[in-house]
Amino acid sequence: MPRIEIDGQEIEVAAGTTLMEAAEQLGIYIPFFCYHPKLSVAANCRMCLVDVEKQAKPLPACATPASDGMKVSTRSKRAKMAQQGVLEFLLINHPLDCPICDQGGECPLQDITMGYANPHSLYTEEKRVVEDKDIGPLIATEMTRCIQCTRCVRFGTEIGGISELGATGRGEKMAIGTYVAKAVRSELSGNMIDLCPVGALTSKPFRYKARSWELKHSQSLCPHCSTGCNTDVQSLGREVLRVKPRVNEAVNEEWLCDKGRFAYAGLQAADRVQTPLLRINGSLQPVSWADGLEAAATALQKTIGRAGPDAVAGLISPAASNEELYLFQALLRGLGVRAIEHRLRQTDFRADPAMPLYPALNMSLEQLETERNIILCHAYPREQQPLTNHRLRKAALAGAQIWALDSTQREFNFPLRQIRAAAGADLAVYEELLALLRDGTPASNPALGDLADAVRAADKPLFLLGSSLLQQPRAAELLAVIAEIAQQTAARVSWLAEAANSAGAWLLGCVPGRKPGGVQVEDAPRVWEEKKAFLLYGVEPEADAMDAPGVRAALDAADAVISISSFLGAAESYADIVLPLASWAESSGSFFNNEGRLQQYRAAVRPAGESRPGWKILRVLADHLELAGLDFDDLEALQDTWQKQLGDFPLDVPGFRVMPEIAARHQEDAGGLQLLGDWRIYQQDPLVRRAQPLAQEPVCRLHPDTVAELGIGGAAVELLASNGAQVQIPFVLDAGIPHGAVWLDLGHPETQALGGVGTALRVQMPSIRV
Amino acid sequence: MSEWLSQSSLDAIAAERSKYPPEQARSALLAALRIAQEEHGYLPEPLIEHVAAILGVPAIQAFEVATFYTMYDLQPVGRHQFCVCGSVSCFLNGSDEILAHLQERLGIGIGETTADGLFTIKEVECLGACKDAPMMQLGDRYIEDLTPQKLDDLIAQLRKEAEQ
Ligand code: SF4
Ligand code: SF4
Ligand code: FES
Ligand code: FES
Repeated sequence: MPRIEIDGQEIEVAAGTTLMEAAEQLGIYIPFFCYHPKLSVAANCRMCLVDVEKQAKPLPACATPASDGMKVSTRSKRAKMAQQGVLEFLLINHPLDCPICDQGGECPLQDITMGYANPHSLYTEEKRVVEDKDIGPLIATEMTRCIQCTRCVRFGTEIGGISELGATGRGEKMAIGTYVAKAVRSELSGNMIDLCPVGALTSKPFRYKARSWELKHSQSLCPHCSTGCNTDVQSLGREVLRVKPRVNEAVNEEWLCDKGRFAYAGLQAADRVQTPLLRINGSLQPVSWADGLEAAATALQKTIGRAGPDAVAGLISPAASNEELYLFQALLRGLGVRAIEHRLRQTDFRADPAMPLYPALNMSLEQLETERNIILCHAYPREQQPLTNHRLRKAALAGAQIWALDSTQREFNFPLRQIRAAAGADLAVYEELLALLRDGTPASNPALGDLADAVRAADKPLFLLGSSLLQQPRAAELLAVIAEIAQQTAARVSWLAEAANSAGAWLLGCVPGRKPGGVQVEDAPRVWEEKKAFLLYGVEPEADAMDAPGVRAALDAADAVISISSFLGAAESYADIVLPLASWAESSGSFFNNEGRLQQYRAAVRPAGESRPGWKILRVLADHLELAGLDFDDLEALQDTWQKQLGDFPLDVPGFRVMPEIAARHQEDAGGLQLLGDWRIYQQDPLVRRAQPLAQEPVCRLHPDTVAELGIGGAAVELLASNGAQVQIPFVLDAGIPHGAVWLDLGHPETQALGGVGTALRVQMPSIRV
Repeated sequence: MSEWLSQSSLDAIAAERSKYPPEQARSALLAALRIAQEEHGYLPEPLIEHVAAILGVPAIQAFEVATFYTMYDLQPVGRHQFCVCGSVSCFLNGSDEILAHLQERLGIGIGETTADGLFTIKEVECLGACKDAPMMQLGDRYIEDLTPQKLDDLIAQLRKEAEQ
């Protein structure tokens, strides 16, 4: 172990430690730009030059390993001269932009210049100008400010897993960019804004909105997936202006995905509900809170009085807080309602008794990195849980063997083997794997044979069940087979929870048949068509539900639809009462993430218009309904209550409870092509799908052979469903889609009308319209 | 054969590729780009992307290499390419005047090609012949201790050769 001395302080460090790391350990600051603890060492900015005794020249601290007896000075005359020299060179080509640069006030170049530069420059010649690049709607570029530290380039290759930015040209002409103008596609691209030590890469949606020092910071959480990234919501007045990561090594390290970073833009959507609305003479009219709540209470009471509590259903978003989830089910159960659901994307609930206490990862995110054998079952975490995906990527790069079974080939950003089912034959893949493991029959698909060998050879492989699995039309049968595979092979089963608080929704009883703490109660009839009243909470069934046409028809037919929501959306046509809900940024609460980690978030801004935090709405509604025991005065009292009801629970839970007997569901061949699909990353919840900078046009994907058979040309197709829906949509050729299937981006109101996964579609050339 | 490259070029690229370990396809970029340029004369963007695809590396990494080395031509070039060194030793010995003289004589700017397709001027980085600065590369020859007179003679000679 080398012993060295820095600025007179001695330290013994592990072999291979760099001078930069040793100085960090001593609490000595060495200025730097290109160095970053999570990226490879490039040593190209030279800002970290230090004076090392007996060395002819100053050495870069970030790239110099400590060796025994080194005497380092970071403040000697020679070190200072080196620092001043480097800064003088860096500033030669740096524009005097600070007054109009968004980085101003949080800029390492500014700070280090103030701290270390010689105020006089010898340079009098022209500065260079670098052409700006359009790299998409999220990142604004001002490449003249770039100091070529290549942090952004290394981030793409090493963390993002797709190389899109690079350094082209040479010497004075070197420039960072994509070369051929195109938008960067990495779902982690926003992190490059944080990494860029200057104002070359800044946030486009935040551009010129405020100076960094004017912003109020609020500790928050990302509400967009089950990773539970810690965020700092930054606001000015009543407006959220940007979202940045808070460092939490155990959860998001120091990253955020673009969904978590930019979805806040949806808060300003034009259809934000500002006041309570009541349908009067056929149209929704603003009313007072008292009238809105009274109308909601009356509607629920009337329906229950006439048709009983089973005529009412409550649908809540899995991104609601624990407090909201608890109150929601307590209110409905207080009325005797049993149909309480948060899983709008699921259609097959036959395996419910076997579902675990909550969809648990059964390990920490950090442990996930150390797994050796992982089988992803209908999981695409890159779009569904982006920073959990980052952990999987690290596992893969460390040599884990990863497999993916799915209905389609997905664009993973780490090495793995993918096995794709034939159109609509997802179950057959798992059944064949089970047969291979049980009987060792020869495999029809050699990849499956390899997978069976790998599973057999592995010590307790991990089956990781993804968000798309439960969306399958025969999900219960898939789960039953997976449970049996796990039993056969002593494999472990874990879940990638879908939404920010899917775990909380299970733990706190927002499922039929389970009360808080997972206590089993009588299951409920879930036939939406027979419901007379709906209480919707933070959901848009027309975009969130798998069987959107079915749920939509039920909503249209119901006597009363009460929507507690931040956004109006299509509720304009089906809701009778709309109560404006404060967004996550406007209220406080807590989520359970995929690990079962309980985390709190605080309101950042005041609610828009007259909207109110959800727990307050539910509390007052309970009051109007004369339900006892729900009149909490503050959030703490409410938290205490749900925590008592939930009790202590183990973070690691068995992947399945006891699997009931599940009969094979006969699938009729309705002819046509099978609809397959998923919610793309920026379409997954009401807030993110309203964020303009993230907007993606829906497309459908077809196998080239399918297109050839159908004789389709051009760029768009017309899709027809048996329910009469007809949608014209651009298509993309994709050999990863099974032959005989149409892959559709779900969650767009226009595509949802066609129906969910498993629907039969007719595909044809668009009819010419005049 | 691909839309861009003949089978023999593809084979040559494959041979270069096989010299490096499986995870180091990037190392074969230099040779692969050279082979592509030899067949096609220069490297248009789609060809660079094509080479990247053959090797299975991200396109941007091929662009980084192709734009770094002045030996790769990103535009069509004339039959004779004057690659004049503009780095420090040559600069101190008057490479600017050499470049200015060439431009005036040929009536084109740096990076341009004469209308008859005979000459291209290019400014390149140090070619390691600093002791005989200023210098340039022409094809696979170095021409050193350049003077305007030397250049005029050379241009005249090359024009004559072209006429024959
Ligand atoms: S754009 Fe920023 S991060 Fe990228 S190389 Fe330039 S200064 Fe570094
Ligand atoms: S990974 Fe999930 S929790 Fe983290 S920022 Fe992205 S959407 Fe939010
Ligand atoms: S920080 Fe060490 S060279 Fe850039
Ligand atoms: S500087 Fe011109 S050859 Fe070295």
